[in-house]
Amino acid sequence: MMTEPVNYPQCRIVPMRLLSPDTTKRLLDKVVKVQGIRRILLNGQNIPLLVPYGPARGKENKTNLRKTIEIAGNVVDLHVQVGTITLELDDSSVIPELRAICDAFFVDFSYYIQEGRFMKTRPSLVDYAKYGPNADKEVIGLVDPKRKENPTIINLSNERVCGGCEL
Amino acid sequence: MRTVTERKPQFGPGTSVVAINRRKQMDPGHKLTVMRSITDEDIVLLLGHRAPGASFKTMHPPLAEQQEPDCPMRRLVKPTEGALHGDRVRYVQFADSMFNAPCQPYQRTYAEMYRFRGIDPGTLSGRQIVECRERDLEQYCRLLIETEMFDPALVSLRGATVHGHSLRLSEDGMQFDALQRCVLGKDGMVRYVKDQIGLPLNRAVEVGKPLDQPWLREHATIFHSLVGTALRDDGEYVEYLQRIHTLRTRYGFIPREA
Repeated sequence: MMTEPVNYPQCRIVPMRLLSPDTTKRLLDKVVKVQGIRRILLNGQNIPLLVPYGPARGKENKTNLRKTIEIAGNVVDLHVQVGTITLELDDSSVIPELRAICDAFFVDFSYYIQEGRFMKTRPSLVDYAKYGPNADKEVIGLVDPKRKENPTIINLSNERVCGGCEL
Repeated sequence: MRTVTERKPQFGPGTSVVAINRRKQMDPGHKLTVMRSITDEDIVLLLGHRAPGASFKTMHPPLAEQQEPDCPMRRLVKPTEGALHGDRVRYVQFADSMFNAPCQPYQRTYAEMYRFRGIDPGTLSGRQIVECRERDLEQYCRLLIETEMFDPALVSLRGATVHGHSLRLSEDGMQFDALQRCVLGKDGMVRYVKDQIGLPLNRAVEVGKPLDQPWLREHATIFHSLVGTALRDDGEYVEYLQRIHTLRTRYGFIPREA
């Protein structure tokens, strides 16, 4: 069965610096309040729990780049140092509001907002293999289907959902 | 007629500030500016090959105790201090950010080959490893960390998990490091809290304050059209690269310059 493609507009916030967990939290606290955002995806460089290579392989990786942050009452375990924030919107009229938030937020370094297609909008073969024909559309594009951990969907109304790097 | 001894090496082409900086680093006759000081113990801690104060482990007896064969080459080439004592071979690896870090992997290898003896460098796009006798390594590390070839924010010692040279910088201007071996303190000092392979140190090692952007632009050894000097602005360098490219392409077809 072919799933109908959903063509919601998407945009991507690209700061010129990689964001710390605290800055990510402050930015998302403002962004999630905007009406008309369907899904948010945080991309960035993975911060491993254990040292992945070398003689210290397997030892604990002590760092303050990997933190649990709270966004609008939802607790999210950040796995990455955030580099881009991709948003799926109800319609593109939300973008000027996002731009206004970012203009006020990014004062120490610049950023840009790109409009385009940054998330999958229909299941791939691998999605089909993992989720089957009746995959939850909200999950598609948010998370690598090969990943062992479950994806996280957080709504403003949710009280507590554990997380990966997705919102 | 000029003799060979009158000739001076050119080290590299180019008229831009990047080319000049590259030549300065490569020229062993040029004294590099010392920007910071670091103790012997700190270097030992950063490298993580031996405990501070521990003796050097050896891979063969000192040369003085060995029966050296009568070899003209051995009479000609004096052993380094590490080889003389029979030290084992150890390494240091640096990752250099593309955002105007004062040294870059290929440049690092060129400079080390001109300045150091008894080394075996390995050069990759974002990192450069150099192997040599442990005693020599610690001595060479001092130059690599204390002089203008190092910036605490943009250059870092990374034995493994080196990813970060081509990424955007972190908010605080530090090069991305998944293991966060060094941190920028509130006082503006950069401190290593882990050794180069990512094992936590018993005490932090201070390596100074990050250098400011104007200084980094003036001392860059990488062309970068957005944050520094563009390669195309250096006509001589472009001409040199085009010549090399042409000759390499024609190689095998009897390369001859027109």
